[in-house]
Amino acid sequence: MNLPILLLLLGLMVVAAVAAVMIRSLLKSAIALAALSIVLAITLFFLGAPLAALFELSVCAGLITVIFISAISLTGNKPKEEEEEKIRERRARFLKLPIFLLIIGVFVSLAWIANGINISGISDPAAPTFQTFKNLFWNMRQVDILGQVIVILAGAFAVVVLFKERDQA
Amino acid sequence: MDNLLLIITGSWIALPLLVILICNLLDKKTGKSWALPAAIVVSIGQMITTGLGLLQLGLTKSGFINFTIFWNVNDFEEIARSAWASAFFSVDTLSLVVMFAIGMVSLISVLTAKKMNPDKALNFTNLLMVLIMGMNGLAMVADLFSLYVFLEITGVASFILIALYKDKKGLEGSFKYLIMSAMASAMILAGIAIMNAVTGGVTFSHISGLFASGSSLHTFHAISLVLLVAGIAIKAGLAPFHGWLPDAYESAPASVSVLLGGIVTKMAGVYAILRLAQDVFINAKGFNYSLLLLATVSIVYGAVAALKQKDFKRILAYSSISQIGYIVLGAVCGSPLGFIGAMLHFFNHATFKSTLFVNSAALESQVKTRNIEEMGGLAKQMPLTGTSSVLALLSTAGIPPLAGFWSKLLIIIAVWQTGHSLIAGIAVFASVFTLAYFLMIQRKVFYGPAEEKFAGVREVKGGLAVSQVMLSVITVVMGIIFPLVLLFFQTRGMI
Amino acid sequence: MSSLNFDPLQLSIIVSALLVLVTGIYCLIYSRNIIRMIIAIEVMMKAVTLLLAFSGWLMGRIDLVQSFIITMIVIEVVVAVVAAGIALSVYRHNDTLDIDQLDELKG
Repeated sequence: MNLPILLLLLGLMVVAAVAAVMIRSLLKSAIALAALSIVLAITLFFLGAPLAALFELSVCAGLITVIFISAISLTGNKPKEEEEEKIRERRARFLKLPIFLLIIGVFVSLAWIANGINISGISDPAAPTFQTFKNLFWNMRQVDILGQVIVILAGAFAVVVLFKERDQA
Repeated sequence: MDNLLLIITGSWIALPLLVILICNLLDKKTGKSWALPAAIVVSIGQMITTGLGLLQLGLTKSGFINFTIFWNVNDFEEIARSAWASAFFSVDTLSLVVMFAIGMVSLISVLTAKKMNPDKALNFTNLLMVLIMGMNGLAMVADLFSLYVFLEITGVASFILIALYKDKKGLEGSFKYLIMSAMASAMILAGIAIMNAVTGGVTFSHISGLFASGSSLHTFHAISLVLLVAGIAIKAGLAPFHGWLPDAYESAPASVSVLLGGIVTKMAGVYAILRLAQDVFINAKGFNYSLLLLATVSIVYGAVAALKQKDFKRILAYSSISQIGYIVLGAVCGSPLGFIGAMLHFFNHATFKSTLFVNSAALESQVKTRNIEEMGGLAKQMPLTGTSSVLALLSTAGIPPLAGFWSKLLIIIAVWQTGHSLIAGIAVFASVFTLAYFLMIQRKVFYGPAEEKFAGVREVKGGLAVSQVMLSVITVVMGIIFPLVLLFFQTRGMI
Repeated sequence: MSSLNFDPLQLSIIVSALLVLVTGIYCLIYSRNIIRMIIAIEVMMKAVTLLLAFSGWLMGRIDLVQSFIITMIVIEVVVAVVAAGIALSVYRHNDTLDIDQLDELKG
């Protein structure tokens, strides 16, 4: 794993996250979120998880962005109607964030370096090697697969219930 | 026998799935009219199958049943038991007791929903089925990550149910719940990720083995525990993290708040604590002590905050926070007796809290208000509601010989025995306090001078009446046979 | 590199995941717009995804963590759909996305 590339990706990730939170236009904010997903997907690929990266790219950067953009356009993105007062207040609230993040980042890094922390991941030596990802996913995590089926059902009912126009009652 | 067991275990997921398929694939009209009866069948079916499951556990004295959902993994038996695999559902006495409660509360909720218009009834049934599957799965998992998956399913289904009527209050309560729940999920997942890194696996048995050896604990175990405890405490609605709970209960439609108050939030938070305390962090002192503290705070806070409320449902919500405190107290005090008390108080809480929410629905439908200040002298017109409400409140406060008394007694004795005498004292005091203000509510709502504007009020009929009778009978009978139940569990080695 | 008694890779991943998580929580607390709050939830989930991947990478078994991440992403999408649906319904009621308008429940 190439350290400079990873550092660049992680830096981009933090920048994208801060942008998604701070940009005033919701539409641009959603696009920043998509950028965050894309950078995360590349990082996942570099860490050695190509399938998860694929999912992240297609579902999070693609589908979720579509959901957000449709929600934003359906609700009307109208920043112009905001009063000057509110905008100034918002800016004041969110300008603290980068400073806050900088302090946390520096503090945690210093504490980490000073204490020489090293997480030694435990790799179970007796852990059997799964021949393929297919074998692992479909046999060993079948409870999760059932969970996915049920949660997708729930999502379908959410669309039925929540996206309809208001009831007459 | 094996075939019967296969049918029983399969039905917990397959039956709700079947109902969803039938009701949505049939033509619209039939589907809508079949929806609620089908939901009743599923609920009763679940009560029967879990009863049979308990019997099976008692007969074989095996302690638990393992089963796969899609296909057998006999070829990889060894792998399936490794630190990585979540190939089995596993049920033990705790799972079966809470699943029986799930069936019971769902039945009550459907009976309460009888008057819904057919369009809503179909949506309600669909979501109830998803909710039942989610909660059953939650009761049966043996793996931290799967626990998260089913927590989310339960959560998602209940967000939609709260917002079912899309009224302003419902949407607000639902959104608040969603935000808090999402924050909790992020914490739980971060905790799982760190736990995974430092212990090398996510199954309950693997992690508990590591904590039992106790030697290699370091900073990251602690961070992971803090994240897990905070996340689950938010989901359970323990005191400093309870903000969303009264709002969600108040804003939900009547039949949904029976579900929420009776079982859903208990499953999402309290059951997770029970399970983790029993199977995973039994030797992790930090987990037990932090939750002991939160539980004590909840007991006191819930009891005090209920005093200020005017809305019947909000009073119940705050009393729920207090009762959740008792259950958690029993679960984490570190003695088996306390754990049994917690398990049975979980069941009793499901009974009496759903009675009270049904009472609230009955009052709301007849008197058209939930504000207790406006009510008075309703016992004459609504004898059934009045009686069942008194029984449930006395059971909540822990008056012998009702069911709530026994489980609370077990919890308090266990807490006393494990050396937390101060906490036991606080618990007893809060219980007396609960009794006092519940008596006050009773006087205000059902007794006292009858007001003229309520002269035309009649007793409820149909589903509401049936569920009130049923729950009251369960409360009284459970109270009388409680020692026998305990004896059965004990002699069969189920607890 | 061997003179360092810590792994810069571990440090950078953990710190950036923490920063993204804090960004999400900060926005969740201080934002007044419903859709922005949903975006904040997504930002938090990205941090958690990174942490999960990191935990697998640390053990040298990242192939196994992939199944977790895939399941998590599916759930994340459904939560986003539900949240967007609620936001939409709120907008139809109030004609605004301002969270301060949601103040019916108190006590």
